[in-house]
Order: sequence, then C-alpha cells, then structure tokens
Amino acid sequence: MQFNEKSVLDGLSFEVRPQDRLVIMGQSGSGKSTILRLILGILQPSSGSIFFKQFEITRLRRRKLQQVRQHIGMVYQDSALLSSRNVRDNVALPLEELTDKSRQEIDKIVDEKLDLVGLKDSKEVMPAELSGGMKKRVSLARALVLEPELLLFDEPSMGLDPVISSVIDELIISLSEKSKATSITVTHEMDSAFRIGTRMAMLYQGKIIADAEPEEFKRSKNPVVSQFLSGSTEGPILEGSQDAIATK
Amino acid sequence: MQGIGSIGRNFFQEVGSLFWFIARTFDETIDRLRSGRVPFRAASFFRHCERAGVDSVPLAGLVSFFLGLTMALLTGYQLQRFGTERLIPGLVAIAFTRELGPLITGIMLAARIGAAFTAELGTMQVSEEVEAIEAMGIEPLRFLVAPRMLALFFLMPCLSTISNVAAIAASGLVSRAYFHIAFVYFLELVRDGLLIRDIITGVLKSFMFGLLIGAIACYRGLTVRGGAAGVGTATTSSVVTAITAVIGFDTLYNIIYTGFFPT
Repeated sequence: MQFNEKSVLDGLSFEVRPQDRLVIMGQSGSGKSTILRLILGILQPSSGSIFFKQFEITRLRRRKLQQVRQHIGMVYQDSALLSSRNVRDNVALPLEELTDKSRQEIDKIVDEKLDLVGLKDSKEVMPAELSGGMKKRVSLARALVLEPELLLFDEPSMGLDPVISSVIDELIISLSEKSKATSITVTHEMDSAFRIGTRMAMLYQGKIIADAEPEEFKRSKNPVVSQFLSGSTEGPILEGSQDAIATK
Repeated sequence: MQGIGSIGRNFFQEVGSLFWFIARTFDETIDRLRSGRVPFRAASFFRHCERAGVDSVPLAGLVSFFLGLTMALLTGYQLQRFGTERLIPGLVAIAFTRELGPLITGIMLAARIGAAFTAELGTMQVSEEVEAIEAMGIEPLRFLVAPRMLALFFLMPCLSTISNVAAIAASGLVSRAYFHIAFVYFLELVRDGLLIRDIITGVLKSFMFGLLIGAIACYRGLTVRGGAAGVGTATTSSVVTAITAVIGFDTLYNIIYTGFFPT
C-alpha cells in the first residue's frame, strides 16, 4: 500500500480465524488504520488481495462491495457519529437505509443495542452533547445493529480515561462474544490491547513481525516487540526515525 | 508554456471529475430506485428544499427588486430622451426572464447555499462521517449528494421566477412614479414584449444552474483534504467555481441559443 509513492504496508500478510479477537499493535503512523480501511475496501491496495469469507474485497464491484460491507461493523477512532442526527437516528441509520424493517422493528432493535451499551435513556441526545466514552458506545451500538460477522475497532480507547477505557474494552469483549463476531482492533494502548486480544500482532515497517497469543507475545524475544511493550527509548524502533532525531 | 499546459490539464481533470461525480450520483440513485426503494428520505429532500428555496426567497426577491428599480430608472431616463420610455416594461421583463433572473439567482444561490453545502459536507468528510456512511454499506453520493442536488435543481426555477416577478414589479413602480405609465398599460406592455420562448429559456437555464451549483458544492465538499483549513479553502473555491461555471454556462447557452433564434 503506497501513499504518494511512500510505501506504508509492504508484504503484509495475516489471517483472522472466526471468533478471534485480533489486536494489531504498532507505532503511530505505521499503517494500522490503513489495514482496516483496506479490509472495508475504502482504500485499494497497490498490489495483493484481501479476502472476507469467500469474497475477494480487492476485486469486488461497487454494488457487491456495499453488500459485503453490511457484514462488517466499524468503530472509528473519533466515533464518526453523524452530528446532525441524534443517538437514536445514528444507530437506526443502517437499518433504515439497508433493510426493509418497519419503524417499530427498527425502534426495538435500536433500544436493544442501546441497552447493550448502557445508553437506552440517551436516545434523543445529539452527538455534540455526549462525552467521548458515550460517543464510542453509540458508535459500537451502530456497528452492531446489522449483526456483523466482523467488527473493526480503530483505537477504541484513544483519548479516554483509564476507567472509561476499561469499560469500552469490556464492552468490546462481551459484545463480540455475545454476537459471536470476529474482531480486529488496532491500537497502541498496551493495557487495552492485552485486555481485548485473544491474539496479538505487531506491525512494524509495513509488515507483521510477530503474531501470537497474548502470553506468548509478552515473552517475545523480538527486539522491536520487546521495546514496544517496555516503552523504552533504546532499541530498533527509534533508530533513524524523526522522533529519535527530536529526542537527541 | 508548461504552466499553461498544467492549468489546462487541471481544468479538464476537474471538469471530468465533476461529470463523473454527477453521473455516479445518478447511477447510485437510479440503482436504488431499481431495487424498489426510495433513494433518500423525503424529509431530507424537503429540509434541503426549505434551506435552499424557502429561506432564499427574501434575498432573491429583495436583490431583484432593487435591480429592477435601478434598471428601470437608468434605462427609462435614456429612453425618455427619444420619447420611447414605453419600452421599459418589455426591456426589464425580457432582460430578467431570459437572462438576469436566472443569473442573479444562480450567483446568490452559489454564494448562500453552495457555500453551506460545501462547508457541511467538508466537515463531515474531515470528521470521517462520510467514510463511516460508506463503511456501513450506504452509498454516500445517493444518501448525501442526491437530495441536495435535486433540491437545488427543482428550487432554482422557482427562485428565478420570484426574482423575475420582483424585478418586473419594481420596474412597474418606477414606470408609474417617474414615467407616468399606468399599471394596466405596464402589464400590457410586458405581455406584448415577452415571448413564450423567453420564459422557457429562462426556466431551462435555471434548472441547469441549479444542477451545476449543487454538483460543484457537493463535489468540493466531498473532496476536502486537510482539516478545518481545507474546509475553508474548499468553501471559497466552491463559491468561485460555481459562480464562474454559472456565468460560463450562461454564455455558452446564449451563443447556442442565438444561433437557433437570432432575434
């Protein structure tokens, strides 16, 4: 995957098994969010293929891609709620636009999903009036409303305090388990990553350099993984990077 | 030479992208209709109609009224020297119905509504709302652009008509007050001066202006890059492009029109 001739992901390859909760970690700007956008078909890779079940995302025509996207739920870093619609309308949007359900059926599903994230009483509130954690929860409810098979989370605990961050993590775990959905989370927040993940992967210089279960991942001998987990300034990650030059 | 080439290439690229944008919006909308579903919510369409149309009535009416007054006054004094001030009603009516009504309304709508659409969609773009819509499997052009573009397409002729009526009414007042032309005689002169094809050509132009302004505003909004500063730049660019496009299209239309109807 290239941006302005700069290669961001190069030779990247991984597989996610059903009901896995894969967490992809990596530095800021390493291309973690790009992976999610590639899976959704919002970005097109310069080469290579991406498969979701039997569908090759990279080769799907627009109409088919729109249909496949309905089986994938995405929670954005900044929640990406539609600011002109209240909580109820945000959550109801996919149902109104993509299904033939009646208003009563939609209301029932919306209530159910908002209840799952603990926001049943905030239906009429506008996104601007919600806290960061509440926005994330609404976004989660919206992602779940079409019962997706795959959930994508882009930095789910970014900008939240540790307590609310844990609440969101717990929600991700419980909702993924309840809906039997597979999930891919990209984050660089350690606590969050180890809480959510049943599998961890480390993205470095455009490649997955480590992929293991959390305990095994913690014990990794890979110097990049060790440095990333310890947060040390000494090691391969900062060598030659702009951040290293700034610290000297 | 290289600079001119680059400007030319960018121009044709932009024009091509805009046509592709309009075609894709229609494609997504028709696709949705084919599947037996409404392309967008009626409430969304009427909300944009209200913003673009109803809320623009005072501005379009007032500006055209003042322009009608001025035009009748200025031309009236010139025509009076030759004793032909009875030509004022026909002159103002033809000028506004065929040309000035749609043009002035187009320019006002580009500034007022085009800027609003660009800023709104641009903000949605930078805050990832548009991407979230796409990620849900909803076509953003059909959902966001089609109701806005159609609202401008249908409302523009209505606003042009209001503009024409306001200008003709203003010139009626001036004709009565300064040139002693009675209202009944004024209306008779307007009827004599105006041809059906003047009205049709004005209405046709208005439809096209509405479509152009809507498409340019939405296109600029959805192609915003670079956060808040990008929204500001895109909004300015949207207004400038829409006004230039409206005047350019009007010129082209007039060249073709006078080719078919020279008088």
